Amino acid sequence: MHVVKPINWNRVEDPIDLDVWNRLTANFWLPEKVPVSNDIQSWASLTDQEKEVTKKVFTGLTLLDTIQGTVGAMSLMPDARTPHEEAVITNIAFMESVHAKSYSTIFSTLCSTQEIDEAFRWSIENPFLNKKAEIVIDKYDGNDPLKRKVASTLLESFLFYSGFYWPMYLSSRSRLTNTADMIRLIIRDEAVHGYYIGYKFQLALAEETDARKAELKEYAYDLVMELFENETKYTAELYDELGLTEDVKKFLHYNANKALMNLGYDALFPKEVTDVSPAILSALSPDANENHDFFSGSGSSYVVGKHESTTDDDWDF
Amino acid sequence: MDKNYSYHEYNAMLNLYDEDKKIQFDKDKLAAKAYFLDHVNQNTVFFHSLEEKLDYLVENEYYEQELLDLYDFDFIKKLFKQAYAHKFRFAAFLGAYKFYTSYALKTFDGSRYLERFEDRVCMNALMLARGDKKLAQDLVEEIITGRFQPATPTFLNAGKKQRGEFVSCFLLRIEDNMESISRGINSSLQLSKRGGGVALNLTNLREAGAPIKKIENQSSGVLPVMKLLEDSFSYANQLGARQGAGAVYLNAHHPDIMQFLDTKRENADEKVRIKTLSLGVVVPNITMELAKGNEDMYMFSPYDVERVYGVPMADISITEKYQEMVDNPEIRKTKMNARHLLQTIAELQFESGYPYIVYEDTVNEANPVEGRINMSNLCSEILQVNTPTTYNADLSYDNIGKDISCNLGSLNIAATMESPDFGKTVDTAIKALTSVADLSYIESVMSIAEGNKKSRAIGLGQMNLHGYLGKERIHYGSEEGIDFTDIYFYTIAYHAIKSSNEMAKKTGSPFDNFENSKYASGEYFDKYTCCDWQPKTKKVAKLFKDAKVDIPTASDWEKLKKSVMKYGLYNQNLQAVPPTGSISYINNSTSSIHPIASKIEIRKEGKLGRVYYAAPFLDNDNLEYFDDAYEIGPEKIIDTYAAATQHVDQGLSLTLFFKDTATTRDVNRAQIYAWKKGIKTIYYIRIRQLALEGTDVEECVSCML
Repeated sequence: MHVVKPINWNRVEDPIDLDVWNRLTANFWLPEKVPVSNDIQSWASLTDQEKEVTKKVFTGLTLLDTIQGTVGAMSLMPDARTPHEEAVITNIAFMESVHAKSYSTIFSTLCSTQEIDEAFRWSIENPFLNKKAEIVIDKYDGNDPLKRKVASTLLESFLFYSGFYWPMYLSSRSRLTNTADMIRLIIRDEAVHGYYIGYKFQLALAEETDARKAELKEYAYDLVMELFENETKYTAELYDELGLTEDVKKFLHYNANKALMNLGYDALFPKEVTDVSPAILSALSPDANENHDFFSGSGSSYVVGKHESTTDDDWDF
Repeated sequence: MDKNYSYHEYNAMLNLYDEDKKIQFDKDKLAAKAYFLDHVNQNTVFFHSLEEKLDYLVENEYYEQELLDLYDFDFIKKLFKQAYAHKFRFAAFLGAYKFYTSYALKTFDGSRYLERFEDRVCMNALMLARGDKKLAQDLVEEIITGRFQPATPTFLNAGKKQRGEFVSCFLLRIEDNMESISRGINSSLQLSKRGGGVALNLTNLREAGAPIKKIENQSSGVLPVMKLLEDSFSYANQLGARQGAGAVYLNAHHPDIMQFLDTKRENADEKVRIKTLSLGVVVPNITMELAKGNEDMYMFSPYDVERVYGVPMADISITEKYQEMVDNPEIRKTKMNARHLLQTIAELQFESGYPYIVYEDTVNEANPVEGRINMSNLCSEILQVNTPTTYNADLSYDNIGKDISCNLGSLNIAATMESPDFGKTVDTAIKALTSVADLSYIESVMSIAEGNKKSRAIGLGQMNLHGYLGKERIHYGSEEGIDFTDIYFYTIAYHAIKSSNEMAKKTGSPFDNFENSKYASGEYFDKYTCCDWQPKTKKVAKLFKDAKVDIPTASDWEKLKKSVMKYGLYNQNLQAVPPTGSISYINNSTSSIHPIASKIEIRKEGKLGRVYYAAPFLDNDNLEYFDDAYEIGPEKIIDTYAAATQHVDQGLSLTLFFKDTATTRDVNRAQIYAWKKGIKTIYYIRIRQLALEGTDVEECVSCML
């Protein structure tokens, strides 16, 4: 039986747990924060084709976040190494649900109900999207905790990005910039999630036998290839008509490498095929030095502050 | 690799290091070049001659016939020649991109450009000179060399037939009655439609729960008014050029202050959440003193205050009347710990960047004009006196009070230091800004029209301080940096006052109520005539000497004082230092007088998306002089602003920058320090969060420390 002990945050066994907890809570946000409605004019200026792609991309992303929020993150819970890790995972699961909901905010702001329903129907029927979900859910159902972590890291660090490409592309061309802000907040979260799950994977891996290590490595690379093959088809279906497939593929290479690196493995794709358009790469950096104009957006760099009272010394005047 | 990149891609490379870990400045030049070759040149309407072009633009209602009629064609031709002879080139991709996206005249369907930068400069010069040929030529010279840059509403609209107003900023009072509230909303719509940000003072509105017609618990306070205003601003935009933007100010001692602040909470209920309206809190000295003693502060019902004193709450000094109001049983009050309020303000600033702060007593002590300052504007640099307006039952005006407007323009410090005639540069800029005041009469809001007519207030700003200091290898906020700021602003103040004095002398018309100002009494000049104001460091003395910029002496000031006391000043207000977003990119400057936000800045705005911008004068050899604002920290920024503040009659937009390791206490300490140093207002608080190690984008300049 699983024995529950009270969680003591004053006895943290792994400082990374606390670091990540602090980071994730400071990063807390809700979709209502972003004034997506400022994008309505910009949305109207997209071509029908671009609108189609946008809707498809976001339903695809909704599906992935739904999986991660309801199945993925929860499946990691039993294997948590510390009570603090469990706490972090609950946060991850919750934020994934926030992400899933935030796409709905975008939809309801920009599209009619009929359009939304059509887009969701597309996502339910699309074979490649279904395949993607199937593969991942299948891995989550398995009873090897390390393999679950591999699947989860690949989902967080790799599978989302075929979809993320599109809003980043648009924002680098001054379209749907507030929507892009929201996506950047999601990317900011996913980057930490992927990093954290990958880190926990590496800890567990270090305790395994050499044979197991070899098995898991092979498993990870095989899974990347399996997902990659499907992902290319999905990408082609989404982006062919826009002529962007080649560049998106580079972006997939780039992120597959990042996912593998999160797991502690070497990059799979050589540098020649990861030269993503600089506009996309630069658009990814969510934090740091964005100097946004407060009057047209909320930016993606505010955090919930740490409270600390002033003391009498501070008021010495 | 011989690949053909798009201009967006070249520009983005600015944010990625090259193989030797160097910043790729050359790539931004390629971006600007590609932008012209691939986009601008191909989308510009071609004309054979200037005559053909102007005829076409007037006939098709792009340009204003009346403006061109002020000059003969030969002169106009000469003026355009003069502008084009400078062979102007944009120094950064963002400058060019911003200009063509937001400023250049386009065909009505938005598909093709009808103007180049030189054309816009000439139209500004023609408009601002009002038929004065000499002034038009001077203005072309000042603007094309980048020394003077009119603010967006002027630069964008000058000479166009279909346009908004030239004025940047509006500030409106609201009084505690329904007529005034609905007029306030109406005025916000009207002013947003015409351009410019609008700020409203809510301090006079009775609090939630206050009686209406003596029936208790009837008023719903300031929140519903904020909601109405927020929606109004979203609705009205300036011909789609930019979104209407508004701010609301509230005194810290208004009973609704906590609800006012909570509208910006991350988890606020949708009904009370304020997303796009900017907030400002007016903080009197008494709040700071109560916080010092860790005491409770009382908030007073504006309804009762107005009943007791016969004037609205905003026209009373809370500091002065505090004890009296506490002791008066006629005034209902609530209380909370003063430190708690200031900590709440800091928490909110972490979450949202808001509220702005106005240190009310500091502002009023420094105010040379008769009357009371009780609010600021959307960018917290406008500080002027106002008086209430009263209405008849049919909403017509009973007594038109004085509301505030201000048109702005900024000097590029680095370019101005290179001016062949520093005084003339300032004089030309002051004349240009005054033109806008003289030309503006916004009838839809009579309190603004009348206020402007009486005060002719203008706001000459400054930008590119950090760029200039970096170029001269001076650290921002160092002893030399502060010394330069002090002497530069000192010299500017002298020339600005001199210019306004000459206009008053020439027209025989000083601003309304000049006779009751500290200029008229001569008191204003005491700090300058008492002692010699000279550089304290050798380096700064040399900079001024090498630039051949004379630093005014006490006897220069004595002479000016006599002339001002005799003839007056044409403008009630002269200086205000705005944050300069867009125009500093076009002008290739660092914004305002604050430090750069980043060596390579990621600029994001509604119309632009994300674009990358290198600090002006930055190269791979002088990186150490371009520490960013987060590294420089709040104290040095405050010290620099304090040096400038003493020479500026209005305010300066001061943004404070913190790393994410800061707590609310650090923010509070900076606010206390700013207040102690005589800072008038604080604009945004910006927090930078760095990517968690291992999650950042590889080789990205802006992610690195």
